[in-house]
Amino acid sequence: MDLFIAIFTGTIIAATPLIFAALGELVVEKSGVLNLGIEGMMLVGAAVAVWMHFAGFSMPVAILTATLAGSVASLIFAVLALTFATNQYAAGLALAILGSGISAYIGRGFGGAPIDGLSSISIPVISEIPIIGPLFFQYDPLVYLSYLMFACICWFLYRTKAGLVVRTVGESPESSHAIGFSVIRIRYMTTMFGGAMAGLGGAYLSIAYTPLWVENMTAGKGWIALALVVFATWRPTRIILGAWLFGAMTIFQLHGQALGFALPTEVLSAIPYLATIVVLVIISRNREILKLHFPASLAKPFKPSG
Amino acid sequence: MNRPITRRKFLATSGAFGVTLGSGLMTKAFAANDPLKVGVVYVSPISEIGWTKQHSLGIDAIKSDLGDKVSITAVENTFLPQDAERIFSEMASSGHQLIFGTSFSHGTPMQKVAPRFPGNAFEHCSGIVHFDNLGTFEAKYYEGTYVAGVAAAHMSKSAKIGFIGGFPIPDIVGPANALLLGAQSVNPDTTCNVIFLNSWFDPGKEKEATNTLVSQGCDVICSMTDTATGVQVAGEKGAWSIGYASDMSQFAPETHLTAFTLDWSSIYVQAARDVAAGTWKSDVRWQGLAEGVVKMSPYNEAIPTDVQASLQELQASISSGGIHPYAGEIQDQDGNVRVAADSVMPDPEIRGFNWFVKGIIGNMG
Repeated sequence: MDLFIAIFTGTIIAATPLIFAALGELVVEKSGVLNLGIEGMMLVGAAVAVWMHFAGFSMPVAILTATLAGSVASLIFAVLALTFATNQYAAGLALAILGSGISAYIGRGFGGAPIDGLSSISIPVISEIPIIGPLFFQYDPLVYLSYLMFACICWFLYRTKAGLVVRTVGESPESSHAIGFSVIRIRYMTTMFGGAMAGLGGAYLSIAYTPLWVENMTAGKGWIALALVVFATWRPTRIILGAWLFGAMTIFQLHGQALGFALPTEVLSAIPYLATIVVLVIISRNREILKLHFPASLAKPFKPSG
Repeated sequence: MNRPITRRKFLATSGAFGVTLGSGLMTKAFAANDPLKVGVVYVSPISEIGWTKQHSLGIDAIKSDLGDKVSITAVENTFLPQDAERIFSEMASSGHQLIFGTSFSHGTPMQKVAPRFPGNAFEHCSGIVHFDNLGTFEAKYYEGTYVAGVAAAHMSKSAKIGFIGGFPIPDIVGPANALLLGAQSVNPDTTCNVIFLNSWFDPGKEKEATNTLVSQGCDVICSMTDTATGVQVAGEKGAWSIGYASDMSQFAPETHLTAFTLDWSSIYVQAARDVAAGTWKSDVRWQGLAEGVVKMSPYNEAIPTDVQASLQELQASISSGGIHPYAGEIQDQDGNVRVAADSVMPDPEIRGFNWFVKGIIGNMG
């Protein structure tokens, strides 16, 4: 039972940064914008959170600043891709590389310095329940926030008028423009929201998960988040499932190694990536459903005319 | 000049220095009483603990030994061979008579640069190739892990040890084996679960690996990476831990059993003195407890005093050569005898260790 609890909680924690980043990117892509810069924004968030922590600010302030920093980083992309309507792939890649450089600069001097990480909150009474308590009620606050964000984003996208507008902009920016919505302004807002979520995911890595700053510490999690959105066929529930799957495989491969599975360690290390992609490809093979959820104008530059 | 400077700044200023040289100030720069110029390239930033920190202590030892007769240029955070090559070459051409490379990845660039500057002395840590002006030095990590393994076996209740390594290379596989052999010398039933991160520096994965090993019943964790994450997380989970490179007790004061630390200062100081005296010769050094390059950090008070005394004795016996960690009989994972009774594993085999001893649960692929 202890082993099961260890695997379960490990999975939830490993999935959290992915959930933040991928949910943010989902909203961005739903509005028809493809921002490939998640990795860069996550790194900026991670570095800023650590910087603020060592500057003496409290955890909530550090997390909030990191979130804002992710958002500011996404503006670099937004100005290029939205205002100047450049190629979104190129602008996103530029942000990914730039973010890695900027974060390394911000994090100078904090490399490897340990932090008293974000402590988990133990809800009185229910966290004491055997099995249920350790399984569900002994995480840090950001884990709960990620599921709150999931609920909010589902509600926003599919149950509010504003969410409908975002999706419309993603389907047909021309029509949205024609009926009077400011496509560029809406896309700016979603892009900045995506940046904020990526920054939050990065902050989770550096001050709750690890907790310390290391150059390029995201280790490809931004790209996995990006892949999750695509393979989850732009549906929030599948993003959560995909993130759990990735988290579970990450933990399983470590257990596999320690139990002496007769597979090379390099292969075991690659399993999380393989398994996530294979499973998501299988569940997204229905082309009709894929078309239904795919934002038709994704990555197409839009220039308002007339 | 004694402060660590960035790579870029170094290249810029040394470029300017080169121009000055060219404009006729050469005689002044090489006047007789000028201090010995020592250059060092670190693979990562100097942080509180870890591999690079221990090398910076070696440089500090040179400073306190030679005082103002030495001037140091340190360049941090240089991993890529192509960057390192440029820096080594700049250092050599700007009059650094003694130059240290501190990482395996500095090997190829040093082998390229050294022949071009036959008058300069080069020292490479963890290197395997040496020339007339390129010396190498390396630590016998396995002596440290053997002693730590004995301590671990005395404290473990489950007789299961967890080991986390960067990559499955001889410098990691060997110490992992010695850790278990040390433990088995106390309790022959001890086993050791091994996880490789396939990274030197991935604290997130190291944390999960530590959690994994603890949840599989390991109650002593030894992590040979460049962070204190293993020690820290083991402490949070109530498991004992063994630190590497630096004393890591500050990260888990209650549960840190000991650390096998690296102290390169004798090698650094000797090289600087020899170069200053003009007697330096390239050498191959592979040193351990006897020379003080490998040291055991203070033992945890939780270890009973008689055990601590026996550990001290063991250290002395290994130093004097009375006990060799890789003395036979040693069997591999499948039970084949690889080192016969009454014999000791030959040095070249130790440096190329590529199999696990019996009792290791894990796979190196």
